[in-house]
Amino acid sequence: MTYLSSGTDMIAELVLATLFGLLLLGIHRKLIARIQRRPGPPIWQEILHMLKFSFKTTWVPITASPTLFVGVVLIAIGIWSAAFYVLVSGGSLLVILGIYMLHKIVEHGFGLSSGSPYGKYGGVRSVISAASEIPLFVSVAVIAVFTHSLDLSSIMQYQQVSGPLLVTAFPAACAMFLVILSKMPFGPFSIVEAKELVSGYKTEHFGIWRAGLEVCNGLKTYVLLAVFLTVFIGPLTLPWLLAGMIVLIVLLAFSCAITPMMSPFDSVTIQMMVTGLMLVYAAVVLVVVHP
Amino acid sequence: MITVTSIGGIPYYILEFGDELVYFTPYTITLFLLALTFTVLVIISRPEKQVDIAFGGDAYRAKDISISEMRFRRFMAIACGLASMGAMVTGDIFNFTLFTAMVGITNVGIVAAVKSPHVQDAAYQYGLVALAATVPLFAGAAVYAAATGSLSMIELMNGTLPTVPLIAKAMLVIGVIGEGMAPFYAAKAEMFRAPGAPYVIMCSLSSLLIFLRVVEVVMLG
Repeated sequence: MTYLSSGTDMIAELVLATLFGLLLLGIHRKLIARIQRRPGPPIWQEILHMLKFSFKTTWVPITASPTLFVGVVLIAIGIWSAAFYVLVSGGSLLVILGIYMLHKIVEHGFGLSSGSPYGKYGGVRSVISAASEIPLFVSVAVIAVFTHSLDLSSIMQYQQVSGPLLVTAFPAACAMFLVILSKMPFGPFSIVEAKELVSGYKTEHFGIWRAGLEVCNGLKTYVLLAVFLTVFIGPLTLPWLLAGMIVLIVLLAFSCAITPMMSPFDSVTIQMMVTGLMLVYAAVVLVVVHP
Repeated sequence: MITVTSIGGIPYYILEFGDELVYFTPYTITLFLLALTFTVLVIISRPEKQVDIAFGGDAYRAKDISISEMRFRRFMAIACGLASMGAMVTGDIFNFTLFTAMVGITNVGIVAAVKSPHVQDAAYQYGLVALAATVPLFAGAAVYAAATGSLSMIELMNGTLPTVPLIAKAMLVIGVIGEGMAPFYAAKAEMFRAPGAPYVIMCSLSSLLIFLRVVEVVMLG
């Protein structure tokens, strides 16, 4: 990862990361369409969406809690900007994963603030699927056991000496891949955006508020994929990092395209089963590999 | 052994009151700021007017919240925010368990004034689970004190104390999970039928923050 030297660089990288994240989401959508034998939108469609929504008329619904309706958009962008900063400065992995979990609250806030039943059900589904985050923390615990640290910079140093964690802690990488999959649109765990809920938690947010949400989604995608590569592959130069993110998004697109969306109950059950398996794996690592 | 700097980052500031202390690391300050932001939102926001759809027809209605109900729920939501903030920055295991128990109580309080049988039933069931969870929660803190002779997280970080038994960590985690994480979340999810965001958001935010903090706590010592 590159390290930033000034505030201007930071803002420039933030903007580029957002645009690249949106491009990745466009590639994801295009690939799903092609696998399902549909033409699909162009890969820059998500960027166009963000720009289009930025200039559309908007308002706050009469049933909404106005301050929360607007404030939650700013919070969404704020937390992922903070995660991006932690990533590029080689900070604590725990902070990034904490922010990842707090994104649930943002989704909940989006859904509940509008007063719409569709948004509310989307928000509630987001909260009940919090089970998907528990494997994430088991993965973190396993990484801590291997590397004796949770600093991204230390984790990268460990991998330079001992090889990628993708090999030595493969089940942890699988669990984290599943966690990222649960955040991807059109995936098996995307119950918060199911079609029976219109657009789920984001149903009532449109115009500039939706553009803000698109920015958040782009940044979130970039950060999550970059964290995966940093934690399980090691330090990469920028071209390799971007190439790795494209490979990851292709894998995610295949997973999403060939798997039907689950019911909320099945989604949570499978995530809890993965949590159980990860706990067994963590126990084995703790007792056998690193007693 | 995981060092102090590698869990939540290097503490920016430590405020000591004898054995009691408060500290801010990049991790705890992130969680604290989130709790503070949502508490401010609770204070300045007017509640939503939840729209209910009658299935099988085109009818819908918006629920209005009375001023007295709004005031009570806002008070409980602010109390919940304050308890969450305390739990995020405290450096004392016992204080952490106290703040966690207070979060459980205020969560019930946030929806207690809602006149809906579904919400009241859910709050009652959640209250029972949260009540039962205080036993392992406080027992976990007691085992921490008995095994190490201290409840200070800073001392646990420094690695100068005896190793914390796994059972103490497990009890602490079970206690926190009982306060509102999966799988006990089922009862709590029903509480979100209650109208009036942003107050009900504090129910989920506080549980999530407490869970995030306990992850850091159990990795110490």
